[in-house]
Amino acid sequence: MTNLARLSRTDWFGPLLATILAVLLIQSLSANFLSAYNIQILLLAIAVNALVAYSQMIIIAIGQMNLSVGAIGGLAAISFAGAMEVWGLPAPLALTFALLIGLGCGALNGVLIRITGISAFVITLATLSIFKGINLGITEAQPFYGIPEGVKRFGGAVLVGPVPWLLVPTLLVTAILWFTLRRLPVGRFILAVGSNDHAAGLSGISVGRTVIIAHAISGLLAAIAGVLVVARLQIGQPSIGDDWLILSFAAPVIGGAILAGGHVSTTATFLGVVIVAIITQALVLFSIDPFLVQVVLGVLILAAVGLNKLRAGAATGGR
Amino acid sequence: MTTIFRTMGLAALMGGAAATAALAADDSKLALVPGGPHPYFAAWEPAGADAAQEFGLAGSDYKVPQRWELAQQNQLLESLLSQGYNGFMIFPGDPVGAVATAEELAEFGAPVIAGGGCYKDPSPAAFCLGTDTGNSAYLGTKELLAAMGDGEKRIAHFTGFLVDPNTQLRIDAVNRAAEEAGATVVQVIADIDAPEPAEEKINAYLAAHAGDVDGIVTTAWVPAVVAANALRRMGDTGIHMVGIDHDEVVLAAIKEGIIDGTMIQNPYGQGYIGSFALARMRSGCTVKEDAPFGSNALTDKFIDSGTAYVDASNVDGYLDTMREETARILADFEATYLSCP
Amino acid sequence: MSVAPVPSALPESSSDGFARLSRTRFLLSNEFGLILLIAAFALLFAVYTSGFLSVFNLFSLGRNAAVNIMIGLAMMTVIVTGGLNLAVGAIGVCAAMGCGWLLQILGLPWPVAILGGLALGAGLGAVNGWMVVRTGLHSFIITLATMSIFFGVMIFLTRAEAFRDFPEAMTAFGKMRLLTYLSPLLLLTFAVALALAWLYRFTVTGREMLAAGANPAAAELSGIRVGRAIILCHMLSGLLAGIAAMMLVTRNGAAIPSMAGQLGQDWLLPAFLGPVLGGTLLQGGKVSVLGTVLGAFLVTMLSSGLLMLQVGAFWVQTFLGLMLLVAVLLDKARRSWLARRNLA
Repeated sequence: MTNLARLSRTDWFGPLLATILAVLLIQSLSANFLSAYNIQILLLAIAVNALVAYSQMIIIAIGQMNLSVGAIGGLAAISFAGAMEVWGLPAPLALTFALLIGLGCGALNGVLIRITGISAFVITLATLSIFKGINLGITEAQPFYGIPEGVKRFGGAVLVGPVPWLLVPTLLVTAILWFTLRRLPVGRFILAVGSNDHAAGLSGISVGRTVIIAHAISGLLAAIAGVLVVARLQIGQPSIGDDWLILSFAAPVIGGAILAGGHVSTTATFLGVVIVAIITQALVLFSIDPFLVQVVLGVLILAAVGLNKLRAGAATGGR
Repeated sequence: MTTIFRTMGLAALMGGAAATAALAADDSKLALVPGGPHPYFAAWEPAGADAAQEFGLAGSDYKVPQRWELAQQNQLLESLLSQGYNGFMIFPGDPVGAVATAEELAEFGAPVIAGGGCYKDPSPAAFCLGTDTGNSAYLGTKELLAAMGDGEKRIAHFTGFLVDPNTQLRIDAVNRAAEEAGATVVQVIADIDAPEPAEEKINAYLAAHAGDVDGIVTTAWVPAVVAANALRRMGDTGIHMVGIDHDEVVLAAIKEGIIDGTMIQNPYGQGYIGSFALARMRSGCTVKEDAPFGSNALTDKFIDSGTAYVDASNVDGYLDTMREETARILADFEATYLSCP
Repeated sequence: MSVAPVPSALPESSSDGFARLSRTRFLLSNEFGLILLIAAFALLFAVYTSGFLSVFNLFSLGRNAAVNIMIGLAMMTVIVTGGLNLAVGAIGVCAAMGCGWLLQILGLPWPVAILGGLALGAGLGAVNGWMVVRTGLHSFIITLATMSIFFGVMIFLTRAEAFRDFPEAMTAFGKMRLLTYLSPLLLLTFAVALALAWLYRFTVTGREMLAAGANPAAAELSGIRVGRAIILCHMLSGLLAGIAAMMLVTRNGAAIPSMAGQLGQDWLLPAFLGPVLGGTLLQGGKVSVLGTVLGAFLVTMLSSGLLMLQVGAFWVQTFLGLMLLVAVLLDKARRSWLARRNLA
């Protein structure tokens, strides 16, 4: 237990240091960086991306992968917007509906994986196609425009200073997730299944139920992210979620998550999201050649995992 | 949306009635294939259906590749040919890379025209029916410069996929218009014809540089929507903007005075006139060698499907503008471009 | 789904490590399951669609399958090591653009340009392998990063401009039809698949790759240079991705930066579907070249058949996903049923 605590302490330390250094460096080069409006934009990006990263993180925790994160987010997003435009549902009902869809999609992933015993990679690859297809089938690639004023206001409103309201759900989720993984039995079950599902099963944990719960949580988180994007874009775009996949892996990995499972850190993942957001914005801020953005992101991922590796010594090996 | 385009189509028919008289019912089964799912092309569907009904075709169907990807489009076209489709209007997934597939379609005797965007010559496409995108961007920038009045004129240009054959034409045209008026294009942001990257990049740019920009011109659908929303959110910035296309967000922003105007294109007209031309070519017409084609960077067989500037004064009647345009092109299309037996 | 008659006598020791191919073994195998599925779906499409068996459709099906199989094989060679290569698409595009550059800017003859492109693909693959071995990180992370880097550098250098001046000889190859319905690309793919099968079955290098994937520690102890084997696997992957890219170049007559989508992501689906359906274990150490070929073919056929069925343009993806799920489940059910019947 002390070993785990020590590791998780070092987990967020590296990314935090990197974040502070990046902020200082960029601020010294461009006074605009810490302007109120710019911080608001930064926080808006973080609000959505953090949820996307958590959605993948919880699956990484059980040692699996969820390729359908973006597809679930997109489906929830258009369900949310569509329910309000086509059925005229009030926003809270539409929200519940969308979150249930996300939860259901995630649980479906978990059930299929558990019943068939086929690897999560294959199942979520198939459901990615199914969910995205349903999305396109319903919308025919046309966005939903009928977003009520209240939702639009929420998407644009600020809580205090530069802090947007959109960040509130994300912070709540961060706290709940942190608490769940650190303190609640279900969180411990998830991590136990991730580090060794056989041993977890022998020690009385229901592996099947834990896997299904983890996938349901993942679906729910993706759905929240999708709904937030709708509030921010003010339209229900069918292409929401299309480019989440790489980010969803990058942030947890930068935060020191081990893909084999059993070890993730909510705070470090959050910091991973912050780093990616800062870098992305810095590239725009300095009018850096847009073609180079991808290169920088790739180098960043390598640098982050390389540093983690150095810090952890040669303790864990990969191939 | 669909009903709007139908009424628009019916009106166009009256104008084109003379041209349709010569058409006999035939076995033309036409496919209208965009480069991928995109709201711009949605009007092709009612346009094809209206044309099929009016001209007595076996069908003129709107077929969309699953993703914005050349390989998907190729596979769809191959499949459509196998299913018995015998005439194609295609938005090329790539101006050169898509030619190979068009050649195969042509080898099977199916007439091919380019719609919305052009193939690069030489290609088997009989002609390219699309918005003169360069001209549209040029006119849009001119309107923006006019709206900005006197004083410093620094323009930011937000546009679409770099792989779209039209994007480079638009960048060049905006630069040309700015240069002529002594204005400067301070930033071009491309590859943002998808909502999330557009939201991120446009907002990040405006966050840092709102004070360094006097006007925004957008030449792609999604950036226009996102930029209009961003300006609405930022309140009174003094930044002028001219958008593109007829997204509801953009039209609403014009009515509320948040942006100055938008450049309307004519996708319905493309689908309707394209279906007509394909059917005529299947019944033996050939394209006149000496037809008064326009030319652009890609092709010398270009037909403009029309473009118009819409601002607060005529935003409610913008459909009439395009309806007239469609009727005008269709009225003498056969006489101008085709020679029929 | 009907199943072939079950043989009565079954040796008890059929699960030992030797490659003793009994009839039951074959019936239980993934490859047989895929053949059944391919036959069943082909029948379905042939009966319910017009044009599925038309000459042009068979030709284009074969041509698309050729590319998809090659992409699947490129991924398979890395999965063998228990790793993944997310950068297949990025490497493929780099190889294609490299070939275009050699041809158009340097004016080299096309065979040299193609070899140059393939060498670039293999080289980038080797870079992946080298980094995986040197850092000890999982290849998922390394290739996630390099797919960004390779693709980004390519886009930066080319300014997203396509190379379009390819000689007739190359473009004609992509359109060539042997016996009216056979694409030479498909023959090329089969030749490569045969070579790979030979590599894994009969050569020391191939066996070392499998051993390194199955249990690196044990392989190291038995004198295999695991690092070298892994680098070779990645190099092979890069080479095969390069070949797939060249096939697309001859088919399109142009080297286009977007031919595999943003970051080459569009290749990932076909890349994984082939090997995974074909029974190549994601844990590594086991390989099925035939299975990968059949798996990739099945997927290509499904998407082609679905377009034919006209399920509605926007629903194709849903049905493809459902059919994949059904295919995987059917195969699973068939095998567990057979296993119960025989081993009860």
